[in-house]
Amino acid sequence: MTPLPARRRTELGLIILVVLLTGGLYALAGFGKAGNLPANIGPLLGALFALLIVAHIAMRKLAPLADPVLLPLAGLLNGIGYVFIARLSPHEARLQAIWTTLGIAVFVATLIIVRRARDIERLRYLFAAVGIGLLLLPLVPGIGENINGARLWIHVGALNFQPGEVAKLALAIFFASVLAERADLLSRGTRRIGRFLVLDPRYLAPIVTAWALSLVIFLAENDLGSSFLFFALFIGMLWVATGRTLYLGFGAVLFGGGSLFALKTIGHARTRVQGWLDPWIHAQTSGYQIIQGWFAIANGGLFGLGPGQSGAASIPEASTDMIFVVIAEELGLVGATAVLIGFLLMVGSGLRIAVRCERPFEKLLAAGLSLILGVQTFVIVAGVTRLIPLTGITLPFVSYGGSSLVSNYILLALLLRLSHGAESPTEIGALVASDGQRLVGTL
Amino acid sequence: MNRQIRGLGLAISILFIALFVQLNYLQVIHTKKLAANPLNHATIVNSYTLPRGDIISADGVTLATSVPTNDQLKYLRKYPTGSLFEGVTGYYSYIYGSDGAEAYYNNVLTGKSSPFKFPTSINGFKKFLTKSNNTQSITLTLLDKLQKIAQSGLAGRDGSVVALDPKTGAVLAMYSNPTFDPNGLASHNPTTVQASYKAITALTGGPLATASYRQIFFPGSSFKIVTASAVYDHKPALASKTMPTLTNLSLPDTTTKLHNFAGESCGGQILALFTVSCDTGFAQIGLDLGATNLSAEARSFGFDQVPPIDLPFPAKSNFPAASSFAANLPTLAYSAIGQENVEASPLEMALVGSAIADGGQIMKPHILQSVTNSQNQVVATYKPAKWLQATSSATAAQVTKLMISVVSSANGTGGVARIPGIQVAAKTGTAQTGTHHTDDWFVAFAPANDPRIVVSVVLPNQGNLVSDQGGTLAAPIAKSIIESYLSTSSSGQSPSTTSGSANPSAPTTGPTSPTVG
Repeated sequence: MTPLPARRRTELGLIILVVLLTGGLYALAGFGKAGNLPANIGPLLGALFALLIVAHIAMRKLAPLADPVLLPLAGLLNGIGYVFIARLSPHEARLQAIWTTLGIAVFVATLIIVRRARDIERLRYLFAAVGIGLLLLPLVPGIGENINGARLWIHVGALNFQPGEVAKLALAIFFASVLAERADLLSRGTRRIGRFLVLDPRYLAPIVTAWALSLVIFLAENDLGSSFLFFALFIGMLWVATGRTLYLGFGAVLFGGGSLFALKTIGHARTRVQGWLDPWIHAQTSGYQIIQGWFAIANGGLFGLGPGQSGAASIPEASTDMIFVVIAEELGLVGATAVLIGFLLMVGSGLRIAVRCERPFEKLLAAGLSLILGVQTFVIVAGVTRLIPLTGITLPFVSYGGSSLVSNYILLALLLRLSHGAESPTEIGALVASDGQRLVGTL
Repeated sequence: MNRQIRGLGLAISILFIALFVQLNYLQVIHTKKLAANPLNHATIVNSYTLPRGDIISADGVTLATSVPTNDQLKYLRKYPTGSLFEGVTGYYSYIYGSDGAEAYYNNVLTGKSSPFKFPTSINGFKKFLTKSNNTQSITLTLLDKLQKIAQSGLAGRDGSVVALDPKTGAVLAMYSNPTFDPNGLASHNPTTVQASYKAITALTGGPLATASYRQIFFPGSSFKIVTASAVYDHKPALASKTMPTLTNLSLPDTTTKLHNFAGESCGGQILALFTVSCDTGFAQIGLDLGATNLSAEARSFGFDQVPPIDLPFPAKSNFPAASSFAANLPTLAYSAIGQENVEASPLEMALVGSAIADGGQIMKPHILQSVTNSQNQVVATYKPAKWLQATSSATAAQVTKLMISVVSSANGTGGVARIPGIQVAAKTGTAQTGTHHTDDWFVAFAPANDPRIVVSVVLPNQGNLVSDQGGTLAAPIAKSIIESYLSTSSSGQSPSTTSGSANPSAPTTGPTSPTVG
C-alpha cells in the first residue's frame, strides 16, 4: 500500500488537475457560447480550488489513510456539472455554487461527526426512523410539493429540498447494520419447503418491512427512479450479505410484480413506459423528451459540437434529468464516455473499499453506497439513452439540484471514512485519526 | 462476502458496458438517420443559433441578412428587398426549409464550406472556438437596378425576365411574376409562416413555382433562332432557297394546314422569312432540314438538358426526339416554329440568345460572383466556364444578321426594341397555346457587334390575339433593360466584367468547391 503522505499528495495533485480541467472546460464553454472568456472564470476557479482544498485538509486531519481518487473524481464531476449548468442557466449556476459549498461543508461535518463506522452501526433504528420520516415528509400537506407529477419535494420558505435523496443513505446504513448482524442466519436456510431451504421470515421481517414501506411511499410520491434504485439497493445488499442467488430470483419476481402493479395503477408509470416503448408515436407528448434527447446525443457525434455550442434549448429539464444529453451533444462520444468512466472509477474505488474493510457492517455499507452511485448513474443515463424507461433522477454530482449534491457529498464522506478505517491497521487507527500526522511519524 | 462484492462490480460493469454500446449506437452508427429524421428540430434550431452570411447584389444592395432576435431561434432571416429577388435568393424557413441561393449556397452562407485553417493568433483561436467564426457572404451577379426594371416592366402581369452577360454566363437579372415576399416564410412565428405559405400557394401554386428557370412555355417563333442556325450548320443551301409566298402551308400526311399568324401572307429567302417571322416559310425549312438535323441542333443549344445554373431544380427544356417525328411528320413543321412539343424556360431562351451573341458558345449560367468571409475579404470568385458549343461562330454571325434585321427592318417584328445609337439583335415569339391565348416572347442582345447583354422576356397566356404579341408586349421590357444596362456599363465599370476576371489577390479556389454539396 502506498505510504500515507503519498496518498494525500496524490489527492492534492489530482485536485489541481481537476481545477485546471474544469477551468479549461469553462473557458471553452464561454468561448463557444458568447465568444469570449467568461468574466468570472478567476473567482470561479479560485472558489472551486478553495472548496476542494478545504475538503483535502479535512481529509488530512480526519481520514489520512483514505482512498486518494474519490474526492478528486467527485470534484471533477461536480466541476463538469457546474460548467454545463452555467452554460444552460446562469441563475441555476449561482444556486449550484451555493449548494456545492454546502455540500463540502456537510462533507467535512460528516467526517468530523462520524469518527468510526461502528458509531453509526449502533444507531440503526434511529437511521431507519429518520429515513422513513424523511421519505414521508413530502406527503405532509403544506410543505410537500408536486413537481412534474412526482411528489418528492418539500419547501421551507424559498428552499426546495428532496428528502428522499438523504433518506436513501439513512436506509442504506440501516440495511447494512441489520444485514451484518444477521448475515449468518440469512445465508443458512432455516426452513425446508419442498427441496428448498428457505429463510425464516422472522429474520427478514425488519428489512422487508422497511423496504415495503419505503417502496409504498415512493410509489405514492410517483418517484419511479428512486423506487428502482431502492429496490436494487435492497436486493444487492441482501445478496452481498448472504451470497444466496435465491434472493436475486426472489428480487426479480418481486420487481416484475411491482412493475406490473405500478403499470396498472399509476398513470405516471404508464406514460413513462409508453414513451419508452414507442416514443415516435408519442413524439409530441410522452416521447418528446426521449426523442429530443436522442436527437441531441446523435447530433454530438464522435467529438461533439464543442462546449457551449449546441442548441440545448429544445430539451426539457436540460440541467437536471437530461444534463447527460447536453454533455453528450457538446463533448460527443469521447466526452460522454469520459464522464461515465469517472463514475465507473468511483464505483470501482467504492467496491475496493468494501473488499478491504474487515467488519461485515463496513463491507456492506461500502458496497451499498457504491451500489447507489452505480445504479443511480445507470438509471438516469440508460433512461436518457432509452435503454430503460426514463425516470426523473439526478446524475450524481453532475445534475443541478441541492439535495442530490449534498447527499452525494455525505455518501462520499462515508465511503472515505470506511476507506480510512479499512487502511488503519488496528483500533489505534481510529483513535489516532484525529492526528494523522503523528501516525505518519510513528510509521 | 468478497466474492459477492466482486460480483457486484462485475454486474455494474456490465450495466455500464450496455451504456457504452448504446452511446456508440446513437453517436456513431445511428447518427445520420437521426439527423435526417423530420422530427429533428435540433439541427434546424442549431442552424438558427448562428447568423448566416448576407446575400448582396452586384450593385451592393443587401438582399438577405440575419438579424439577432430574442426568441429561441437566435437569428431572423430578413429580405430587405421583399419579393424583388425572391426568385433568386429563395427563402430560409424553419418550417418549409429553404430554396434558391439560400439552399444552393447554404454551406457557404453558414461557413461549413470554409477551408479549415489552423488558428495562428489568439484572436484566430478565439474565433475557432466560437461558433459564429466562419459565416461567409455571397455577392451575386444580379443588379438591383435591372431587377427593378424587370419588375416594373411586367407591371404585375405574369411573366419572366432573364438577362445574362453572354460572355460570362453571369445572370444580370432574373425576375418572374407571380412571386412573393419571402419574409413571411422566414418568420419565427409558426402562424405567420403557415398563413404566408397558404397565401403563396393560392397565388403561385407553391413557393417552388419560380417561372424564370423552373417553368417551361411554348417558345413559338423565338425558336426560329435555333431553326435558322440549323440551316447554316446542316443545309446552308436552304438559306438561299426562296420559299413561296403563302398564307398557309399544306403539310404532308394530313389535310390540316399550317396558317401564318393573323392570316398574313409571306415568303422569300431566310432573311425575309426571319424578319417578318414567316411561319409557312420556316415550317417548310423545318421539313426540308429533317427531324435529325433540327433535333440535333436543339440539343446543341441546350434543349433536353438541365442548364447548369447554381440554383436548385432548374427545369429541362424540351424538344422532341428525332424518332418521334417519323410517325407524325406534320409535327416537325410545327416544332420548327417552336410549337407542338417544344417547350423552353425563360432561362433557356436567354441561353439560346447568348449562343448567338457569344460566337456560338454558351457559358454556364451563374448567379454567384464572389464569396467574402466575415472580415470582408474575397475568398472565392466565380470563374466563368463554357457549357456548350451550340454552333459555329460563322453561323452565329449569320444568325446575328437575321436578328438585327428583326429590329432594324421596317417590316421587322421587333421594331419596338430599336435603341438610338445601339444596334439591337432580337427575335420575337408569339406561340399559340391552343386556348386562344399566346405566350409572348422577346429574345434580344446588344450591342449586336459586341454583345454585352442578352435578354429573354416572356408573358405567357395573353388573351388578345391581335394586339398581344412578343413584339408588342415583351419587346419594350427587354428594350428598357438593355438601355439601362448599357447606359451605365459603358460609362462605368461593368459588374459583369469584373466577375469575369479573377481577382489576382483572391485565392483561385474557384466557386466549384463551395457550390458543390
